[in-house]
Amino acid sequence: MRYAGPRTVLEIDLTLGTSARYDLEDAVFRAVLGGVGLAVWLIERSVHGPLDPLGPANLLVFAAGPFASTPVPAANKHAVATISPLTGLLNEGLSSSHWSAVLRRCGLAALVVRGTAARWTTLVVDNGEVRFEDAAPLLGASASVTTKRLREMLGDRTARVCAIGPAGEAGVRFATLDNDGRQAGRGGSGAVMGAKRLKAIVLRGRGRVRLADPERTAAIAGMIRARALGPATAKYRVTGTGANLRVLARMGQLPARNFTAATFDAVERVTPERARESRGEYTELRAGCAGCPVQCEHMYVRKGRAGAPAAASEYESVWAFGPNCGVAELDAVLDAIAACDAAGLDTISTGAAIAFGMECAERGLIDPDAFGSPLRFGNAAVLLPAIAAIAARLGLGATLALGVRAAAAVIGSAADAFAMHAKGLELPGYEPRALPTYALGLATCTRGACHNRAATYDRDLRAPGGERDDALRAQDAIDAEDYAAVWDALVLCKFIRDCFGDFYAEAAALWGAVTGLEIDAAGLRAAAQHHWQRKRAINARLGWTRSDDVLPPRLFEPIVDGPLAGLRVEPERLARLQQQYESLRVRAPFATVAAP
Amino acid sequence: MTVELFGPARALAGRALIEIAVDEPTDLPGFLAALTAALPAFVGEIVTAERDAFIAPNLLLLDGARAVEGGVRFSAADRPCVLFLASGG
Repeated sequence: MRYAGPRTVLEIDLTLGTSARYDLEDAVFRAVLGGVGLAVWLIERSVHGPLDPLGPANLLVFAAGPFASTPVPAANKHAVATISPLTGLLNEGLSSSHWSAVLRRCGLAALVVRGTAARWTTLVVDNGEVRFEDAAPLLGASASVTTKRLREMLGDRTARVCAIGPAGEAGVRFATLDNDGRQAGRGGSGAVMGAKRLKAIVLRGRGRVRLADPERTAAIAGMIRARALGPATAKYRVTGTGANLRVLARMGQLPARNFTAATFDAVERVTPERARESRGEYTELRAGCAGCPVQCEHMYVRKGRAGAPAAASEYESVWAFGPNCGVAELDAVLDAIAACDAAGLDTISTGAAIAFGMECAERGLIDPDAFGSPLRFGNAAVLLPAIAAIAARLGLGATLALGVRAAAAVIGSAADAFAMHAKGLELPGYEPRALPTYALGLATCTRGACHNRAATYDRDLRAPGGERDDALRAQDAIDAEDYAAVWDALVLCKFIRDCFGDFYAEAAALWGAVTGLEIDAAGLRAAAQHHWQRKRAINARLGWTRSDDVLPPRLFEPIVDGPLAGLRVEPERLARLQQQYESLRVRAPFATVAAP
Repeated sequence: MTVELFGPARALAGRALIEIAVDEPTDLPGFLAALTAALPAFVGEIVTAERDAFIAPNLLLLDGARAVEGGVRFSAADRPCVLFLASGG
């Protein structure tokens, strides 16, 4: 049987104002599956050496999840891949919801954008037709306002829009892409789209997505959906990821004040659970992706605050502006998150940049009054002016908009000692000094400091500090990377991870039912290994070497507070783990697929 | 024995702490029996219907740091915490 889903790649050249289509062979889908696997495969063909991420040669690739627009729950997702302006290396991420589904209903497996438009442009893919429209009237608008205006212009409330906000237009290196209120958040894909003068991509598609075996697909999808409404996803449905704040605080490993502390006494004042438990003090709105039974997003706004938007309360976002900036005011944190969403900024990197700025100011390296309100840990009032300055790249905001690695180079005075990043991507909200396998994953991850590509921290958290044999940790990190790679190629939401018993076997069965291409559990695992090797190969062409797989110097200093005080990343141990990791990785065979 | 609750367990119980009646030291089966006796609503939500294990990603950590495995015995002084751990989004 041939691959049942859409197999067409639509290539857009913004410099020339042209479009072209070609179809992928079954062999490609067998090798790369879809989603991140397909997006990275498409990027690989364009990278032959170092390139300017903000130049016309950089591709911006959108690849549909192979289960999008099917009955499979939590699967209306797509991958975005490009070369990151933050890291200079491969960046691949995910977004989700209606835009993902309609990409497939347009008959597309992927959309590839190259070049730079002469003027600000909106790309419209209207079923089979491609149009380039003037985006000048949309400049300065948030993604949500852009979506509203484009729908009005098209007279179609169902048109699906992926857009950048003002930060992407301004070239902030950690600007996001937004569709349906969901973001491809990390690594600055929004800056790449802005550099191409592409404000938005509108999709209108009503085609049917064919299933290889509709009955078998419905049976497996129904089983997953039933499990996704049960206790396996209760955390996401009942509390949302913001509940991590109390857990990590209890464990003594909640990074605070730019990782100068691992405890945060005021956690009860900033946890979103407080809003949920407040019995009427806050309005809670629930949201989620199209076709997902979990609806994980818990949005809050204090009642009576006229004009204040409800803000998403994801753990990473709350951590970034709360504990990491030393801020103990939930409303201020929610306002900061909403401001980032309106500007089109990654909340993790924005919070990290402000926290880095706070430490620089407290050390006397920069003007503490650069944003009006004092730039110091704990000052909630500085968050919004700092975010506005970063989004517009004004004053000190222009420096922080480079990301902490480049900002430290501008500021000098050894500020790089406390610039919390790996390969240029800012650290998320977990304490690597207490989590040895996670620390290894942060160092080796092809994307930089990503908690979703080498997500071993739950295993580490069961025994912080590490009784586990180090000889097993490198394999743990690889297992976690490969596991994530399969999820990201099938583009299933990882929040339903506990809805599977034997994930590889069940996912292989699902792949076969939906696509008609048979694969087994071992085949999925092999595909994941190939994905990693492809990512590593791309980075090598871009100039990456193993010497880039380092962690911030602060992590080699001991934790100073809480029950885990004294733990640190030991350089010799990390080096030994990296050697074991490399040794295990190079043993895997590498299969290539010819370009079409 | 005082047990600290987090996330869905706390939401379901409606409180942060729960007192359970159990002979100390206890092991995981004894703990689960006492926990579900105190909070029957946990059955099928936090603890399996057979009451013999936590439903992932819920688990028991002593003092928020040590997982309980095999026949490990523990008491209130070990500060049991029912919480959840799941990585990657």
